[in-house]
Amino acid sequence: MSKIVMNSVVIVVMTSLLLTGVVTMSMSQRSFAQLLPKQMQTPGQSNINGAGATFPFPLIDTWRVEYQKVKPYVNINYQSIGSGGGVKQFTAKTVDFGASDAPLSAAERAKATGAVHIPETIGSVVAAYNIPGIPDKGLKLTGPILADIFAGKIKKWNDPRIQSLNPDKKLPAADIVTVHRSDGSGTTFVWTSYLSNASPQWNQTIGASKSVQWPSGVGAPGNEGVANAIKGSPNTIGYIELNYALQTKTPYAFIQNKAGKFIEPTLESVKQAAADVSAKGLPKGDASWQKVTLLNDKGSGAYPIASFSYLLLPKDLGKSPNMNEAKAKALVDFISWAITDGQKFASKLGYVPLPDPVVKLDQDTIKSLTFNGKPI
Amino acid sequence: MNNDNEHKEGQEKISKEKSLNTSINYRQVFDDISSKYTSRRRITNKVVSIVAIVFVIGAIIPLGSILLEVIKNGIAVISIQFLTQPPGSIGSGSGGIGPAIQGTLITVGLASLIGAPIGILSGIYLSEYAPAGSAKGGRERAISFFANTIRLFNDVLTGLPSIVIGIVGYVTIVLAINSFSVWAGAFALSIIMIPIISRVTEETLKLVPNSLREAGYSLGISKSKITLFIVLKNAKDGVLTGVILAISRIAGETAPLIMTILGTSLFFTSLTGPVDALPLRIWRLASQPYESAHAFGWGAALVLILMILILSASLRIIARGRGIKVRTETI
Repeated sequence: MSKIVMNSVVIVVMTSLLLTGVVTMSMSQRSFAQLLPKQMQTPGQSNINGAGATFPFPLIDTWRVEYQKVKPYVNINYQSIGSGGGVKQFTAKTVDFGASDAPLSAAERAKATGAVHIPETIGSVVAAYNIPGIPDKGLKLTGPILADIFAGKIKKWNDPRIQSLNPDKKLPAADIVTVHRSDGSGTTFVWTSYLSNASPQWNQTIGASKSVQWPSGVGAPGNEGVANAIKGSPNTIGYIELNYALQTKTPYAFIQNKAGKFIEPTLESVKQAAADVSAKGLPKGDASWQKVTLLNDKGSGAYPIASFSYLLLPKDLGKSPNMNEAKAKALVDFISWAITDGQKFASKLGYVPLPDPVVKLDQDTIKSLTFNGKPI
Repeated sequence: MNNDNEHKEGQEKISKEKSLNTSINYRQVFDDISSKYTSRRRITNKVVSIVAIVFVIGAIIPLGSILLEVIKNGIAVISIQFLTQPPGSIGSGSGGIGPAIQGTLITVGLASLIGAPIGILSGIYLSEYAPAGSAKGGRERAISFFANTIRLFNDVLTGLPSIVIGIVGYVTIVLAINSFSVWAGAFALSIIMIPIISRVTEETLKLVPNSLREAGYSLGISKSKITLFIVLKNAKDGVLTGVILAISRIAGETAPLIMTILGTSLFFTSLTGPVDALPLRIWRLASQPYESAHAFGWGAALVLILMILILSASLRIIARGRGIKVRTETI
């Protein structure tokens, strides 16, 4: 009898001994709580969690801060884990919304039933390089040449095919090192889609996907990882979102478009790529977006590698395990704001504001969202 | 107490005399050896000493340069705002890492609450209730086998890559409750803690002289009391070291948190929601293309190092303070 009592006393005393170790922490937590802004105390607030593409992260992160000024009780949290991760977590319903630069494939749509696509911005993918002796942007490249470089067929920077396009530049006799994404990435999807269009051989052997079997080169995680890898080692070339190239001051190539002109990726040239977007016949929000592409626009000033980036939401928000009606309303309001007022932050960050037809389409999609069958 | 001292002094005298004798003997031997050999030994001694010192310095240089680099790069961004505010939009350089500091404290605190009791109790079991070695009886043999199996799995667990533990947390908790959560992170971290604490506790308790336990038995004290008030009390510093070691280790872990707490730019809301942590934030900030994000990353690294330093120092001071008190009481 006394043994049992003693044993339990032993356990209790030892646990409390250990607790003292943690007391310091909980104390600092408590004082922390007092320091905290109203965020933590006000009731009726909504915390919305999202994760996915790194491509629109700077824009969504700006929205997070700006929207706090509009609606202080709505807290947005968006973590850039890559489009592959975004689709995966969206499908597993661990986040309230996902984000991806690649539309859901048929297989992914089958797993995430009732998912809607909401294009929230337009960006471009650039071929960024680090070649000693060529510090400036403007190396001229074409789609087929890029496909051959990434397929490992063009091995040297002074390859005649590259040199003949750039007679004014002295290219080194160094080996080309290609940098690609190591994680599942929407940027990879856009890039490989472009290469598949440009080179039938690429299309047959490697194809277009969020992650492909790269024949050569090194991998790095995230747009930022690729940007850092290019910056950090000479004779490299890789593909990143324009904003990341601008931020890291990495030079990027001018790429030949459908009209045969070498186009610098700028806000203007990407805008042109999306100019006749309504003519492309966009599907409804809950339909398949797999065929949608902004690549190789025929406009003479259009940059050839542009893409939508999508927010992913369940059509019936009540199906999300972490959702309630107030939160669903907050989420829908936030996205309505992002595709309208939020677009004014896009240009400054190198993204193209959504054209009006796309905004209209998005608004229709948002109107069709429900919470347990009821419109929100 | 006095007796003890006298005894010690006597022993010291004896050992001094002994060493004096032996050193004289050695000197005679040395004299016999030709001076050539002596100088050669001296040179060897010098050379080896210098090599040893060089290696010691070599071991300290990385630590020193890491600390210097972190302080040099991190000190500039540290301010009240940096420590208490949520982050501003990426690249703007405004805001701070408040949620990350808070998140680390909560996650590591919760992990310690789960991991430390389990670790210490299993260490006590392994040392006191299931001693290693070959036992003859059927039941004792079974216990010994069980204990050895636990030790083996403990060692395996210590060597398990922490990202794998993160995936375990993701599969068992995140997918089960459909949310990245503090629980999942704390669970993953506590799994890293348990084998470290268990091992250190066991080894420390084994160092407590058996005569102390026997003294307790001879007074008719029950085993549980001996374990708690004699063995554990004497081994307290060692056990605490194990806990501090484990806390320091998990406070710097990134891999198990990627898949469990996700990270957030918001302050703590609930145990079932995502939370931020310093190592995770450092990793995310470091991979951003913005200079201001890198500066924040350095600042966060400095804060993390300081936090672990302060934590282990204060725990040690608390332990030492208590230890002295206990001793005066018993005397």
